[in-house]
Amino acid sequence: MSTAPVIDVDALHVTYGDFHAVTDLSFQVERGELYALLGTNGAGKTSTLEVVEGHRAASSGTVRVFGESPSDRRTVRPRMGIMLQESGFSPDLTVAESIRLIGRLTGRTDTVDRVLGIVDLTRKAETRVAQLSGGEKRRLDFATAVYGRPELIFLDEPTTGLDIQSRDALWDAVEELRADGSTIVLTTHYLEEAQQRADRIGLMHHGTFRHQGTVAELTRTLPAAIQFSLPAGAPAPPVSAVAVPDGSYQIETFDLQTDLKQLLDWAHDHAVDLHGLSAAPTRLDDVFRAIDTAPALS
Amino acid sequence: MLPIARSELIQIFRNRAVLITSLIMPLAAAAFFIYRRDAFETLGSLGYIGAILVFTIAAFTLYATTVTTLAARRQDLFLKRLRSTAAGDTAILTGLVLPVSAVSLVQVALVLGAFMALSGAPADPLLLVVAIVATFVMMLALAIATAGITNSPEHAQVTSLPLSLGVVVLASWIGLTGTEDLALLKRVLPGGAATELVINAWNGGVPLTESLLLLAPTLGWVVVAVALASRMFRWEPRR
Repeated sequence: MSTAPVIDVDALHVTYGDFHAVTDLSFQVERGELYALLGTNGAGKTSTLEVVEGHRAASSGTVRVFGESPSDRRTVRPRMGIMLQESGFSPDLTVAESIRLIGRLTGRTDTVDRVLGIVDLTRKAETRVAQLSGGEKRRLDFATAVYGRPELIFLDEPTTGLDIQSRDALWDAVEELRADGSTIVLTTHYLEEAQQRADRIGLMHHGTFRHQGTVAELTRTLPAAIQFSLPAGAPAPPVSAVAVPDGSYQIETFDLQTDLKQLLDWAHDHAVDLHGLSAAPTRLDDVFRAIDTAPALS
Repeated sequence: MLPIARSELIQIFRNRAVLITSLIMPLAAAAFFIYRRDAFETLGSLGYIGAILVFTIAAFTLYATTVTTLAARRQDLFLKRLRSTAAGDTAILTGLVLPVSAVSLVQVALVLGAFMALSGAPADPLLLVVAIVATFVMMLALAIATAGITNSPEHAQVTSLPLSLGVVVLASWIGLTGTEDLALLKRVLPGGAATELVINAWNGGVPLTESLLLLAPTLGWVVVAVALASRMFRWEPRR
């Protein structure tokens, strides 16, 4: 099997008139990887995704999917499943007819019954799309994306509007596809999903990457936090702790384990009870919230 | 292309509004013209009735339905969905317009067949076929172009009205007044020369060379319509 990246984006620019939606974006997605493309609203995720999917032409830069131009649908699309952000089904067709139509057009082979089973829509096979709930439409969308077990699957906000059972079922199906070697590109506003599932994350803001790497690499860019309160009359805490307005203390640290041990040792040595002690590692949410202060990656 | 055409046919027959406005109304109008054929022949000629029948179906069954369905498919993001597959743009568009084109051809064959059975065959059937095909290709391409400026199926009722009514009114104008006056204007308007071709093909008595000259503006409009369609058609809603 080829070791070349499944997706190779180099110096991508997307402009709409004077507006620069994406500026000099470069990244690669390796085979079997789950790559999450995250970002603030209007960061350029959708434009990037649309170019990589082959829905839109790049203003400049090169984009290769399986080593080919993504606009070469006949070559690339049989290997690629796309779950769009908005469903895009005809309300007058039934669920089974929709899957059969789109499935046949992908150029892959599969059975309607199998994919209906994956998304638990077997009972709705003969129901018209107009009568589906929002969550059921998302599941139908996922069903067409995984029809024929494609090598590369784009999941654009896949779990929006899904209940917890449907989310779990969807992620189980994704894990199964990954076990078979499928590569996944994910966008989501549920950061815990990205934190939990993604091998690597590209975090976009104002058309460029502000961070790219594994969850551990991203969260390492910000300090973790230790918080505690001291009883009246306690000695001054270690020098790295700063008092916050509610009377408690906070330590910001890039080495949570060492600093927490130092604090606990200090408390033990001084026989001090640390009230409300908490030690929180940096989360993806924190990186996301601080995105404005992060410089653009070159 | 064929799976798309098949699904499109299913959708046309499942959508009652489309079924009534695009299939039943033109047939009802055609039935009225055939029923009152003696009165319309007195006003114009048998060729006039033939032209009105052709343009009623071209304007309403073919043109208006195509504008409405393409706008609906785009609004539903169904076009984007189709473009997410391995199907090419030409295959997608052909698949989408094939059923309504086929339905239009069947309608025109049925309606003109009934008219012929009652009033006799046209003088030049081959010329009639050429005129019908040119008219249908022009109206289909104009429909694809009009769909480009139509945001929704509801909006199609507004955007498709000028051309659908316009070509029927023009066919009536030419059928009732001939082309002795304002010949150039009548012939360069969309469908004008094609109307005259249908009338000549039906009534006969016009030298073939004269009729063939009318093919130039007719085919000219086909070229203009196809160029407009390729420039104006949009696959996704405006954002």
